[in-house]
Amino acid sequence: MALYSFDKSLALFERACRVIPSGIPGHTSPAFNVPGSFPYFAQSGKGCRYKDVDGNEYIDFMAAYGPIVLGYNDPVVDAAAQRQREAGGLFNHPTERSVELAERLLSLVSDMQWAVFARNGSDVTSYAISVAREHTQRRKVLMVEGAYHGVQAWCRSGTGGLIPEDYEHVHTFHWNDATEALDLVKRYKDDVACIIVTPFHHPAFGDQVLPAPSFFADLRRICDENGIVLALDDVRAGFRLSMHGSHAYFGFSPDLTCFSKAIANGYTLSACLGKAALKAAASRVFFTGSFFGGAVEMAAALATLDELERRDAIAHMMKMGTMLQDGLKELARARGLEVVVSGPPTIPYMRFANETNFRRMQRFSGEAARRGVIFHPHHNWFMMEAHKEEDIRQALDVADKCFEVVKKEFGG
Amino acid sequence: MTGLLGECMNPPDLRDLILAHMHLHAVLPRIVDLIRIDDESTRVAQEMDVSIAFAVRGGPYLVLKVSRGVAGVSTSGLADVVLFFPSCRRLNRMFQGEKVNPIPLWGLHRFRDLKRFSSLSDRLTRHLKPSEQDLSDEAFRRRHVELSLLVGLAACGVIAKLDPRVQRVVKGLHAGTIQYSVLPNGPHAYVEVQHGTVSAFAGRVPAPSATIELKDLKFAVQLIRGEVDPFAASGLGDIRLSGDLHLVDLFNNLFDRVGLYLK
Repeated sequence: MALYSFDKSLALFERACRVIPSGIPGHTSPAFNVPGSFPYFAQSGKGCRYKDVDGNEYIDFMAAYGPIVLGYNDPVVDAAAQRQREAGGLFNHPTERSVELAERLLSLVSDMQWAVFARNGSDVTSYAISVAREHTQRRKVLMVEGAYHGVQAWCRSGTGGLIPEDYEHVHTFHWNDATEALDLVKRYKDDVACIIVTPFHHPAFGDQVLPAPSFFADLRRICDENGIVLALDDVRAGFRLSMHGSHAYFGFSPDLTCFSKAIANGYTLSACLGKAALKAAASRVFFTGSFFGGAVEMAAALATLDELERRDAIAHMMKMGTMLQDGLKELARARGLEVVVSGPPTIPYMRFANETNFRRMQRFSGEAARRGVIFHPHHNWFMMEAHKEEDIRQALDVADKCFEVVKKEFGG
Repeated sequence: MTGLLGECMNPPDLRDLILAHMHLHAVLPRIVDLIRIDDESTRVAQEMDVSIAFAVRGGPYLVLKVSRGVAGVSTSGLADVVLFFPSCRRLNRMFQGEKVNPIPLWGLHRFRDLKRFSSLSDRLTRHLKPSEQDLSDEAFRRRHVELSLLVGLAACGVIAKLDPRVQRVVKGLHAGTIQYSVLPNGPHAYVEVQHGTVSAFAGRVPAPSATIELKDLKFAVQLIRGEVDPFAASGLGDIRLSGDLHLVDLFNNLFDRVGLYLK
């Protein structure tokens, strides 16, 4: 097959650079991918495939970095959204959808008794911190080194636009090291409001690490013994491990949990759910936004949750993810290469073994994109319910050709 | 205390301290590179055999040694000539082109060498702040790019050590090397990151963790002048990134701050 080219993507990027800082800011910047070997702009999507502005079609394993959990333009979700759009999407007041969605989420997600809604993951992780601070009347937040909780000042990486005071009360410990967390709790005695964690460690540019058997139990105990709120950032993993929340999957009980990404199959929605004990504090935190009451997104979320259950989507994604992981490992081995795949099958991360500089992975991903499969070189991937065995087989055929290129260029 | 006395007696403010370190550890050592790459400077250096210490009260210390065409720097040791600056601010003012004379504590009789040093210093300034006419000469442009790149990379070492705004980033900075190359034929420079310290070197390093290639000298000049958006340039292919982009991303937090100090 002829390898894809990206002329229109590049031309559009040149146009974008004239009017948008960096052309494409943030995590979708070409700089974090393989510039020149990746599409920059999308055009349309259906199921697990999308087309870029050059008309190239891809089998996608990024799912818009997570939100597309069923598939692009899922007809059931889109029909529900359209029905609500026809009735009206935004009013002076919330609609019945907000109550229905809160009720639906609380019936699904373990241990939670209230819900509030916003737009993005950052909105609700930051809200969770505020609720914890209000509830405890303390300042400090403990988070895992290298964890991503969004772009608000307290948790944003880098230095741009930040002042040290923004994160003065945020302290880090290492994943799976509850002893280190306890040390921080002792050091900042009676001033730690919250420990916020993800259900498994999913840093960019690194292997994903599952929780050690006692990690969450230890954190729960530390929080209980010291009056600290345990918050779960389930934005990335939510509804790809369990319909009851990733805490149910890993067997622990946080005080607050945050969802976004997969909750509405690409419609912009996030939610913070909490235990009854924090409801009064939650009501004292002024939290609002012009679009937080958007009914179209809530209708989409209700349909997404129904469809995830009806299609037994998580089990299916686990199966497809396992097929993909096993296939990649086997194909690499057959070419005399070794890859490491970490994380749950629905949210895998792949790298070449014995390599820390990503060069093989960048070559692999760039070659795959030019052959019609999106495998991100530095970030975890996301499975969708729309991935079927035929898509996985086709993606593996492409992967095999890419392994061949890597082997030829880099050797073992 | 205020005025000159205050400037000399009070502890330096952090900005002055960081800038003084940049001037002595990122800018002044480029004389060593200038002598290496610029024939005119090599000729001047061949007539020199002197070590000159730059001592700043409450600030950095650097000895520049030039001996028969070969030069080097060290952060300790004695020198034939000692130039004392009673404050970081006074050193900075001199480097910024103001008429500020250091206090010669020792070795003023080496006035011939000092005069030659002064001509090297002027030549370095011309290379770091070139006129459009200078830049029209490709050989000059190449030297400008190499020296400016080395100043910027070495200044990152100062930022990593002293700038409180980046300490959170420095804490997460893992070991590795980043190669910077201008296509097609250089110049080349690289940084080595280890245990939160950053060291800059001219040339190429074998098997760098990450590689940053600039498409040509003209583009490199634009980048140095701050006229291009590096993220946009990367997408457009004017900057080619490969390898450990995590390290590059973290390191850029340091690089982004150099321009806040060195203009």
